[in-house]
Amino acid sequence: MTALPFPARPASVLAQFSEIRAQLQPRAQRAVGMVRAQWLFRSCLMGWGVSAHGHVRVNNQGSMELGQKLTFMGGMLPTSITCHPDARLTLGSHCHFNYGVSLEVWDSVLIGARCMFASFVRISDRDGQRTAPIIIEDDVWVAHGAILMPGVRLGARSVVAAGSIVTQDVPPDSLAMGNPARNMSLDLVAREPGS
Amino acid sequence: MDLSLPLTQELDTLVSRLKLRRCRMVGALPTVLGRVWIHGEGEVCVGTRVVLDGRIAPIELHAQRGGRIVLEDEVTIEWGTSIEAQACVTVGARSRLGAWCKVMDNQYHPLRGDRHERPSSVPLVIEEGVRVGSRVILLPGAHLQKGASVAPGTVVSRRVPAGAAVGGWPARMIRQEVAV
Repeated sequence: MTALPFPARPASVLAQFSEIRAQLQPRAQRAVGMVRAQWLFRSCLMGWGVSAHGHVRVNNQGSMELGQKLTFMGGMLPTSITCHPDARLTLGSHCHFNYGVSLEVWDSVLIGARCMFASFVRISDRDGQRTAPIIIEDDVWVAHGAILMPGVRLGARSVVAAGSIVTQDVPPDSLAMGNPARNMSLDLVAREPGS
Repeated sequence: MDLSLPLTQELDTLVSRLKLRRCRMVGALPTVLGRVWIHGEGEVCVGTRVVLDGRIAPIELHAQRGGRIVLEDEVTIEWGTSIEAQACVTVGARSRLGAWCKVMDNQYHPLRGDRHERPSSVPLVIEEGVRVGSRVILLPGAHLQKGASVAPGTVVSRRVPAGAAVGGWPARMIRQEVAV
């Protein structure tokens, strides 16, 4: 039996290594993220499986309640979550937060399950003039750079387009886009991207 | 490359090349100030005399597997800008991207149905001499033609004709190029 030529063996070994790494890396990152979340959210009531893949600035002086399996992504800027005294923040389970999200609570913010928040989304229930609670129902997707004004209620399964400023309530199953945001039914929005 | 540069400038170029080491191709005399975060498995190509200013916030260049980001000659990008490519993003020569821009060629989630599958991406092209203001979001399908300018805070997902100025969200035409 002839031995393999010298360069062949390291290459196959390297390929195996990269395959193993591709399998194990997400799990390892998730484990590290869960440990980091345990430390970052130590002042909050938290369900299991919360993971923070980057830095999250948490300032909790009120009451924060986190659901199960939340994901906070890391990136260019840290996500910041601020809960002022006597304020109440509730996050549903299976939510995703990209980097740079700023969530500031003075009165009450309620976020449903399976929501997605893209990078640089700003949610604050006080804008200098008034303070009013924000309610976000289940399965809402808020795209990059959107701003939610106080007193807004986002209906279930609705989508907020990138860069929109939402000043009024959004009914369920609708797309809010523009500044100020206008609502349209998702059934009518059938445009493929780029067409 | 001109070797008669002052020593400090040569050192700056060397440091900039070090910061751009993840790029597939780097042209002559790059200037990188502050931080640049280049990640993903795709390829990033950078032309000559590119200026990346990441002093206030880092610049993100994210080319995913099979994606390609091309910055042509003399492109200037300011801080906080993030370019994400799933297929191809091209920034033409002498264009300028303002601070906190977001350029992406994929919507990442479909509007309806299962939110976790990824829709198909549309190549995004910025032609030469385009001025893009700060906090502009360029969505898949955006095509800024030669000499167009985009006002700050605009969201663009369509073709902008040559020499035109657009602004607002939804975007509308502010100024059209006068025919010569």
